[in-house]
Order: sequence, then structure tokens, then C-alpha cells
Amino acid sequence: MSRSVAGLPPRVEFSQVTVRAGSGPPLLQDFSLSVAAGTLHALVGRNGAGKTTLLRALLGEVEFTGSIRIDRQRGGSIGYVPQRLEFDRTLALTVGEFLAATRQRRPVCLGVSAAARARVAAVLASVGLADAGQRPIAALSGGELRRVLLAHALEPRPELLLLDEATEGLDRAALARFEELVKTARAAGTTILLVSHDAALVARLADAVTSLDGEGPAP
Amino acid sequence: MSWLDYPFFRRALVAALLLAPLLGALSHLVVARRLAFLSTALGQAALTGLTIGLALGETHDESGSPYGGMVGFCLLCALAMVWVKRRAALPTDTLIGVFVAFTLGLGICLLVAVTQRFNVHQIEALMFGSLITVTDGDLWLLAALDVGVGLLLARVYNELLLDSVAPPLARAAGVKSARLDYLFVVLLTAAIVLSLKIVGALLVEALVVIPAAAGRNVARSLRSQLLWSIGVALAATVGGLSLSMRFLVPSGGAVVLVLAGLFALTFGISCAARGRGHREDALR
Repeated sequence: MSRSVAGLPPRVEFSQVTVRAGSGPPLLQDFSLSVAAGTLHALVGRNGAGKTTLLRALLGEVEFTGSIRIDRQRGGSIGYVPQRLEFDRTLALTVGEFLAATRQRRPVCLGVSAAARARVAAVLASVGLADAGQRPIAALSGGELRRVLLAHALEPRPELLLLDEATEGLDRAALARFEELVKTARAAGTTILLVSHDAALVARLADAVTSLDGEGPAP
Repeated sequence: MSWLDYPFFRRALVAALLLAPLLGALSHLVVARRLAFLSTALGQAALTGLTIGLALGETHDESGSPYGGMVGFCLLCALAMVWVKRRAALPTDTLIGVFVAFTLGLGICLLVAVTQRFNVHQIEALMFGSLITVTDGDLWLLAALDVGVGLLLARVYNELLLDSVAPPLARAAGVKSARLDYLFVVLLTAAIVLSLKIVGALLVEALVVIPAAAGRNVARSLRSQLLWSIGVALAATVGGLSLSMRFLVPSGGAVVLVLAGLFALTFGISCAARGRGHREDALR
């Protein structure tokens, strides 16, 4: 089942993509999809339908057959908010240092530069976590970590944004802010692939919807 | 007479001062990338490499060090481990366990063959560390390694960190994870091989892991963790050399004892700093 946007050039094209894990049935089989540039395309379906697997294949995290073509400009980046981020919680890493790692050339273990600090402060403010820069990343709650990951994914503005259940654990205010940020990114030309089980969210945001199992999102 | 009047002690001390920042800097990345067991494997591979080098005609005395065999075999093992790790579905520690068993088995067989032709003390020095085997050439090599590894690490540090903490985000950001994996084990191999004369093959893992572990006990940011790691490595190498001179014990063992003491100290500090709540189950 698919509702799509006609007439716009594709930014991402999945063609006959099959992903297998061991000798069991494929996680995804002969999947084809064209995602139009500058649109928000929602991927829906039951648990295990292959939504996350599709994003992971796009990132090169899992092996697949078929082809995935991403139409990118030189210097264009991919932003990604994963469904889960498992990391070593004993690592002494502040939120500011984590975000600065991709925003300065100087090794972050030698300190965060003034320019990077300003950028980090701005992105954190955009997700309502202005004071989180000095906090250990391991001390964040699930919802706060999601907001930090969203901040990380949205700056600098990516050409392609992958959001995998990115609203899970967000409170009402954070959810409203999330929707605003996503709309702003799309308006600025970012192509967005959104995986979600939230039917209302998909209805509010999506320009196109593809169901990986023939069903729509849960009401 | 002061210990500093002995040329061999001065050389060992300079080696320790050169090694500490190098291993301290690598240490927190080794722990972040969960490669502690790999450093054990490389230490044992160095022993096998030494025997290969000796069998092929390298010397291990004041006139030279058998780096060819050690570097060659360790690099081969390190690159093979990364290659297999990136392709196998097995957990990393299981795969490294396979390599440890293989290198140790090969090393033991070769050791028996080699010690029939060479003095076993030459190998002992590399197993447990020995101050008197450090040469001026070693110091120049260490200084060059410090500069080389420092420059390369500075260039790729942020990518290494992101790839260690959040591999999916690193891939999305275009970080070449495979290239970093190979580069990091090459740097680690070079540092480990050049540490062997001070710490010894059997104990080198301690100097690669404990500084970062001790730093994690007390650090509150990445920067403070780096400083703690370097500080602990520095205190352990200099303190260990002094203990080795004072009690005439192998330098490797002495360095590790100081490391263990510093780990216990920082662990105590972290326990004291943590608040203790009280829970009571009132069963009726």
C-alpha cells in the first residue's frame, strides 16, 4: 500500500531490495520505493515488517541485494535519529563534547572550541535543552537523549533525514517542538524518511505514506 | 649514588616519559572501542613474533632489538582480527579468543625450538619487561612514534570517538568505519610493541587498559578522562621503574602493581563520591 507524491524528482530510490538474516525468511523482500526530493515520506507497518531494516540498509549497516540510490549533492549530509542508541554509559562524555565531535576539527578531548560551543548551544536550545551541554550524556533520560539526537541530526541541515520512531518517549511540548523542527527542515528542502507507529503524527506530517506490510499505521 | 647516575635507568625513565602520554591517549579509546582483549592478544602475538624474529636471525641484545618479527607478526594478527571481526557474525571477544589461542599455541611451539639455540633470558626480558634492554635506538623510535601517533590521532580523533560511541550515527555522517578500525589497530600495535621492553608482553595489556579504567572512575568529561589516563600512565611507569630498581623485580610487574594501586585509589574515590540511599523492605 502506498500513497506518494507524483511529479517530483526522486531523492532516494529503493529497487528490488531484499535483506536476509541467516537462513530464516527475509526481513525484507523485493522492496521498491521512490522517495521524492523535499518531501516527508512515512514508512508504516507492524513490528518486524522491515522499516528499521530498510533504513539500516540505506546507511550500509546491513547487507542487502538489489539497489539503493541516494541522489546527493557534493557535501550533502544524512541526518539520522535511530530507534535505539546503545552506548557505553560509563564513558565520561558530556552532551556538549558529543555534539562538538562533528562540529569542530580539534579533537574534542582537548576541549570544545568557542565556535563549536556556540553551535552546540544553539542546536540544544532548538530542542529545548539549552542547559544540557555540560551534562554527561549517560545521565539523560530516554526522551532527552532523543532530543539530543534530533538536534545532532538537524544541524547542519541534512539533505536526507532518517527518523526511526524518533518521537518515542517525548512529552507533549517536546513532540510539538519536534513537529515544528521537522516541518522547518522539510520547508528548507530536506527529504525525510519517517518510521512511525503513530497514525496521527503520520497524518499530520507525511506527504506520502508506504506500508511495508499492506496495513496502515495504528489509529 | 643516585639511580639517575645509571645510564640504563635514565634511558628507561625517558622511555617511560615517552610511553605514558602515548598509551594514556590510546587507552581511553581502547576502552571506548572495547578492544581491551585485543591488546592482550597483541601482547601474546608479540612474544610469538619475537621467536619468529629470533629464528629468522634477528638479535635481541644491546646491539639490537628484534622489532621486525614482533611488528610484522603483530600487524598481521591485528589486521587479520579486524578483517575477520568485520565479516563474522560471532562476538568480538570470541573471535579474539580464537586468535589468542592460535598465537599462544604457535608461540609455545616456536619458543621450544628457539630456546634450544638462544638464551632463554632474552625472551624472559620481553615477557616481563626489563630496564636494561632499553637502547638509545628504542628512545628515538618511541619519540618518533609519539609524534606520528599524536598527529594521526589528532586528525581522526573525533571520527574515532563518534564511531566508538554511536556507530550508526558515524555511518550516517559518512565516517569510514573500516578504515578507522584498521588504522587504530595499526597505531595500537606500534605502541604495544614499543612498550614491551618496559612492561613485557604478558603485562602490556594493563598499561593499555588500566589508565582509562582508573580515569573513568573519577572523570566527568572526556577531557578530564584523557588527563587522568595520561596522569595514571605516567605515575605508573615512573613509579614502577622506581620500584623495580628498589626491589630488583621485573619492571613490568612493578608497573602493573602501581597501576592496580591507582585503580583501587580512584575506585575508592568514586565510591566515596557516590551518594548512598537506603531501601527498606518492610515485610509483614
